[in-house]
Amino acid sequence: MNVTVRSGRGSLSERAPLGVFARLRPWLGILPFAIFVSAFLLWPSFSVFRSALQPVEGSTKPAMLEAISGQYLSSILFSMRMSAITAILGMVIGTLVAIAVVSLDRMRGLRNLMVGYSAVAANLGGIPLAFAFVASLGMQGLYTKMLSVIGINLTDMGFKISDFSGIVIVYLYFQIPLMTLVMLPAVDGLKSTLREAAANLGASSRQYWKSVGIPLLTPSLLGGFLLLFANAFSAYATAYALSSRGSRLVSVQIRFYLQGNTITGKSNLGYALAAWMIIVMVVAMSGYLGLRRVSERWRR
Amino acid sequence: MKRNNAWAKYLLLAVGAFYALPMLAMARFSFQKVPVIKLGWSTLFKNWTIQPMIDSVTSDRFLEAGWLSLRLAFLSVLLSLLILVPTTVYVHVRLMKARAFVELLSTLPFVVPPIALVVGISSAMRSTIPSFLSSPFSLVPFYVVIALPFTFRSLDVGLNSIDLKTLVEASRSLGAGWMRTVSLVILPNIKAGVVSASFLTFAVVLGEYTVASLLLKFTLPAYLAEAQGNNPQGTFTVGLLLIVVTALLLGVTNRITRGKSQVVSTIGI
Repeated sequence: MNVTVRSGRGSLSERAPLGVFARLRPWLGILPFAIFVSAFLLWPSFSVFRSALQPVEGSTKPAMLEAISGQYLSSILFSMRMSAITAILGMVIGTLVAIAVVSLDRMRGLRNLMVGYSAVAANLGGIPLAFAFVASLGMQGLYTKMLSVIGINLTDMGFKISDFSGIVIVYLYFQIPLMTLVMLPAVDGLKSTLREAAANLGASSRQYWKSVGIPLLTPSLLGGFLLLFANAFSAYATAYALSSRGSRLVSVQIRFYLQGNTITGKSNLGYALAAWMIIVMVVAMSGYLGLRRVSERWRR
Repeated sequence: MKRNNAWAKYLLLAVGAFYALPMLAMARFSFQKVPVIKLGWSTLFKNWTIQPMIDSVTSDRFLEAGWLSLRLAFLSVLLSLLILVPTTVYVHVRLMKARAFVELLSTLPFVVPPIALVVGISSAMRSTIPSFLSSPFSLVPFYVVIALPFTFRSLDVGLNSIDLKTLVEASRSLGAGWMRTVSLVILPNIKAGVVSASFLTFAVVLGEYTVASLLLKFTLPAYLAEAQGNNPQGTFTVGLLLIVVTALLLGVTNRITRGKSQVVSTIGI
């Protein structure tokens, strides 16, 4: 086989000074890919940090430090609060949906429908989804009107689709199904044998969930929470379409600073907010990937 | 063991309604020409028409945006496959220890939100290669990057599920060169992965708004945002159309991969 021939040649050159090169040579095969990612992802990302470390006009502090004080910090915190709330609600409802789907296992068609639609809905978003909710719960929305017929006036109650609670509802449209998809393998993994064993030992349903079910689901739950958090935190188009320009979300604010750069001289603040976004995303996504590894380990 | 499942049924019913109702509302606004004020039992079935959809899909602005989005989608699929098929096949055949590295690079787009990516693009490239950004097709490589986590995973799952080593050795020992081996032996065996990678990329491009709008490119989502003010009914129809097309692409993908290349992030949000 030609593999052995090559390793013979390799062992010769290993002793030669060119050994390192010979060992690195196979890596040339992924060079085009690495160059592509560097040019179109890493370079722009580094560029964000480079600009973020420069000071804002009329200041000596790097923009990244400026961005974690006063009103700029408040927009980051606002985004985090919004993302956390949609992530918690999405986590709870999405998990319950996964449990419901599994417990109705005999209705196979129902499961396929729910899982199939979740896979679609988890990836709907952006402008079209925002429009669907404007058509539903906007000022002239269909359900706004229907509710007002039965005496519930959303506008008088202070509800606006472009406000905090409105955006939370819209985000739940992709957060819930995403959580369902994340939790399904874990809930499926709670084998009925575990439940029967617990029941045989005299455990009630509540005790089963408390000492068996929830501890086993915890890594997936936490991982799912982080994924949903990251998902909402990085969203831009949906919020922008719902409340064009008016939103305090950090993703929408970034555009504001970069478009106003000639007037305000604050474009570096936009980069600084983007840099902080990347940092938050790195933390959340590494947490998610780490926890996913943990939850996959015991499932095997 | 008999369990009480009533709560599960009610929950799924409620969540199902939450999923369906916004789409129904959008469909009403798309196809019914009755102002909400006048909507009641007597007008419920009046004036339903597909005229608004015909009007908007034949308008010049829509065709301009749609044509650009279609070309971007096809080019992105092509570039995605051109870069990723050789890389993933190479890694699986020759250099399995590089897989973790390629996977890491492919996961990175998840941590750079599109809004951060696009400001990075302008910061890095506006001053160095401005002519590149002025072409609408400059979006293609960035769309390949945004779709990278999905494309890599689809192909990786596909390659993992076949006995690649045996196939390659059989083909090589019968005298086939690498080009023939990849195109006639490997590709047909990972068809599902290739198709799902292509469909996911296509869906990403159709829905992406952030990068396109900040680089001032007129794609379909940008058309939606623009038409919001002057042709509300048209935006509902086109929005619905986009959702249906995306849903079909994702539904088919989910079907052929049996949920294995499960997508873990939202496209175009």
